[in-house]
Amino acid sequence: MSVLTQAHATARRVPRVRPRFRKTELGLLAVVSTALVVGGASLGATERWLKAQAAGEKLTSFGFAPPDPRGLGVYLVALLLVHALFVLAGRRTDQILLPAVGMLGGIGLLLMQRLPQDLVTQSLGPMDLKLGQLQLLWLLISLGVITAFALLVRSDRWLRAYKYTWAAIGIALLTLTFVFGSDVNGARLTLSIGPVSGQPSEMLKVILVVFLAAYLSENRSLLAVESTRIGPLRLPPIPYLAPMVAMWAIALGIVVVQRDLGAALLFFAVFLALLYVATGRASYVIGGVVLFLAGSFVLYHLFAHVQVRVDNWLDPFRDPLNQGFQTVQALYAFARGGLLGVGLGAGLPTIAGHLPVPAVHTDYPLAALGEELGLMGLLAIFGLYLVIVERGLRIAAAAHDEFRALLAAGLSLVIGIQAFIIAAGNLKLIPLTGITLPFISYGGSSLLANAIAVGLLLALSDRGAVPPPPPRSRRWRRLRPRRAP
Amino acid sequence: MSSLSSSSCRAEVDGFVLALWLLRLGFLALIYLFLFVVARVLLRDLRAASRGPAEPGRLVVLASPRGEPPVGASYPLDAVTTLGRDLTNTVVVDDPFASSEHAVLTYRGRVWYVEDRGSTNGTFVNGLQVAAPTAMGFGDQLQIGEVRFRLDRGRS
Repeated sequence: MSVLTQAHATARRVPRVRPRFRKTELGLLAVVSTALVVGGASLGATERWLKAQAAGEKLTSFGFAPPDPRGLGVYLVALLLVHALFVLAGRRTDQILLPAVGMLGGIGLLLMQRLPQDLVTQSLGPMDLKLGQLQLLWLLISLGVITAFALLVRSDRWLRAYKYTWAAIGIALLTLTFVFGSDVNGARLTLSIGPVSGQPSEMLKVILVVFLAAYLSENRSLLAVESTRIGPLRLPPIPYLAPMVAMWAIALGIVVVQRDLGAALLFFAVFLALLYVATGRASYVIGGVVLFLAGSFVLYHLFAHVQVRVDNWLDPFRDPLNQGFQTVQALYAFARGGLLGVGLGAGLPTIAGHLPVPAVHTDYPLAALGEELGLMGLLAIFGLYLVIVERGLRIAAAAHDEFRALLAAGLSLVIGIQAFIIAAGNLKLIPLTGITLPFISYGGSSLLANAIAVGLLLALSDRGAVPPPPPRSRRWRRLRPRRAP
Repeated sequence: MSSLSSSSCRAEVDGFVLALWLLRLGFLALIYLFLFVVARVLLRDLRAASRGPAEPGRLVVLASPRGEPPVGASYPLDAVTTLGRDLTNTVVVDDPFASSEHAVLTYRGRVWYVEDRGSTNGTFVNGLQVAAPTAMGFGDQLQIGEVRFRLDRGRS
């Protein structure tokens, strides 16, 4: 053992911080900056032109300045700053995740600067921050979190060794929300501590992935064994399945009681995906989907709000002015967008001072983007999410051990699945469940949780990282060897 | 005169609208340019990965009380790698507690298996003795005699 620690000590003394240039990342960030500046210019010019038209004036000068040039500039400088820090730190981390996330965040920032600014206001000391500025603030904090995780996380021991502690913290957060939280739109999701408020279910999704990755990597070989038979079903040993299913059921149960259907769907999908990644057995997925269908059927008959969602999905035009209003307006917005969109700033005419799509900044950013950037814009955005998922899976494939592989796969899949759930809900492909669009929607907790996921992915992608700690075994036997013949 | 100025103004506004239209499509085009560049990088990365690592795995020596094999040494593995004290083994473990033909590592499909070859002191994976052929994941520890190895991914 002393030799082992010695070996670790010599390995740890070696790293010298030497700048390492990241050409790919810099090139991609240049494309991102150009795109966002062009987008901002198009947005600013459109807004000015529409305003002049509405006032019946002729435009005398044609400015192409973005609506909030300083905000956009600060965001782009922050992206370059993160890049510079990565270069200086000299770590060999992934070079594509930051530009992809930066592009999505920038599109979100443009959208928030374009929406009516009084949708969200918050006073912070002497300043009154509006929607665009708040989103910028959260984006800057998120970039800071990404940098911190990518550069400071050098060992994953604190994640894998304390999996039950993490699970307990997650459950505690949710329970606190349930007891002390405040109701917004009939769902109790928000926890306020002083001036700070957040949605713990966003954090819980990261914690759930960490727990599942640690648990599955430790017990993977046991879970692949089929020892219990229930009818035609062959299950792994029950004692090894129980803690995982319990953790998942508690999370899911609380979420259902809190009426956070989007998070429930996300947790379930991530659970099944990780189970499949760890064991490679399709029967788990099929069983899970069957369970899901049965559960949905029961929920549909138990809860009125589930019925409303499903009925809206089947026929939003049955009650187009009340229950179906949001869905119908979003569908109109998508239709108005067409193939190329009407242009940033030209869509979503306000009706009597109200936006046509309620909650457009949190649940329905895709409706606004679909109208203003069209089908091509939406496909490009989906492409960006695909890029993030692909990078995550590549990082998983190159990971040193099971835990890191499962963690990377889980973190990227949780982002991808969340984007799919809300996009499909917006497009009326599945019933709408309120959940944020990663990196684009307004909202601090959503941005922070996804930033932690991306930061961890970057840390995991580090080639030349510290080798993982030795696997823990239940009975580490002290050997008393005999001399061999 | 006034009609002329209004028409020139109209032409200017049309120019403005045209510029706006170009900006709008330019934004979309730039997002697609980004995706295109990323796709090229990803493709290159995947091609490099599909050529696969030259070796299916590596054994890194973590602990070796007698210094043979030395701590920190790493051995690229063949699909069938034998370990033991005898010089005919792929990886020679010169440890008094290792048998001459101690264990064998085999790469079947995409999984490593370790099998004991009737050694005196047994073969241990993560501290548990190996009775039948046992699957090993990357990062698992293998103990032969007093020498401990870690199974790592092969270098690409």
